[in-house]
Amino acid sequence: MKYEEAIKRLEGIVSEIEGGKLNMDKIGESLKEARELIKFCKDKLYETDEEIKKILETDD
Amino acid sequence: METITLQELNGRVKSTLQFEMPDAYWVQAEISGISPSGQGHCYLELVQKDTTGRTFLAKAKANVWRNTWLKLKPYFEAETGESLKVGMKVLLQVTVTFHEVYGYSLVVWDIDPTYTMGDMARRRKEILDQLAKDGVIGLNRELEIPMLPQRIAVISSATAAGYGDFCNQLASNVYGFRFYVKLFQAAMQGDDVERSVIAALDAVAARMDDFDVVVMIRGGGAVSELSCFDSYNLAYNIANFPLPVITGIGHERDDTVADVVAHTKVKTPTAAAEFIINLVFDTAQVLEVLARRMGDAVTGRMNAETVRLERLAQKLPSLFAVLKVRNEQMLENIWNRSVNGVRNLLTVKNHKLELLEKSIAAADPALILKRGFSLTRCNGHVVNRASDLKPGDRLTTVLADGIVESEIIG
Repeated sequence: MKYEEAIKRLEGIVSEIEGGKLNMDKIGESLKEARELIKFCKDKLYETDEEIKKILETDD
Repeated sequence: METITLQELNGRVKSTLQFEMPDAYWVQAEISGISPSGQGHCYLELVQKDTTGRTFLAKAKANVWRNTWLKLKPYFEAETGESLKVGMKVLLQVTVTFHEVYGYSLVVWDIDPTYTMGDMARRRKEILDQLAKDGVIGLNRELEIPMLPQRIAVISSATAAGYGDFCNQLASNVYGFRFYVKLFQAAMQGDDVERSVIAALDAVAARMDDFDVVVMIRGGGAVSELSCFDSYNLAYNIANFPLPVITGIGHERDDTVADVVAHTKVKTPTAAAEFIINLVFDTAQVLEVLARRMGDAVTGRMNAETVRLERLAQKLPSLFAVLKVRNEQMLENIWNRSVNGVRNLLTVKNHKLELLEKSIAAADPALILKRGFSLTRCNGHVVNRASDLKPGDRLTTVLADGIVESEIIG
């Protein structure tokens, strides 16, 4: 997943809950997903992605 | 017929020139050759071309003597940011000389840098006009920088101080953001800039999925030599590049053509790094705000649900009371209806019993006997027909008040 997609999905979840449209049974599920998305984004920002490093270290 | 020597002839030409053209002239020309000498002089080749740029209309050698060159060179470079080079248009103050051996040449006394700058600006404008006409000038600027521009292709020379500054600035960002930098080497000054930068761009383009942005940087110097970035071909490649290009080629003056077509132009490599860090900072802020909104939204929703539950709980007793009264009424109704039903049923049954009683009473034999009827038996059987009897039979007749025995005589 791309960072942009994660943010978009997160925005969707937040507005859904803010709009009061989500039923209570699903809030737990959404909360879990939101937490995972936030973690994903924070990792991207602050943790070294070894895979990217490896890709960039290779020359054509 | 007078004959003279070549030296005499050249001597006459020399003195004629000195006599006829003693003044200094401001001359417009293009530099077609430049060679500094070991003694600190500078020898120039000057030309004038026709409008096609292919045919020479005039040509002359020009010498800048050491004393002049020592002042003129730094002055020109400070004003224009460029050093004198081939292809450059210059306005020079010259005097005309003639040497018996070396022939016709000019001596340069002064230079007007504004003429050169004006010419460079005109050339930049021509290139920009052409890029606009070709419809490419705004292409790179229209690209969107990804939310998280972490993977950076740097086009620079490894030895340039600018590259080190850029990497250090990124690595030491106070927020702790991660960046991935890959260097694509290119000459950042001199005649090879156009070719090598385009080659580096091609190398990045070949693996563009690995990168978010391209950064073109070099450290500043006393002479920035920016005119090599005023190239149509280079600008065309930048404008058409599929990733956003950020330039930080270190200068304070007018933007080069490369800067104009780039997505974003900053002054220095350090500023380029800052620019990217700020973009990521904004992105991190978006995430923070979303995370906070998420927390608030969930808390808000939970509070609302709690209040709703509490209200319901408060309402329950009174709801029960209403329900109780309603049920009791219903039960009473059912009871009443049942009692009435049974009562009605009993009345109907009673009536039927009375009728039955009456008909039973009407059939009582004693009453019949009282009305004057009698019951005749013969040998214990009730006599219904006279033909059943014969003379000599004994009859027992029951009357209302007693029994009569009799014998049939006929």
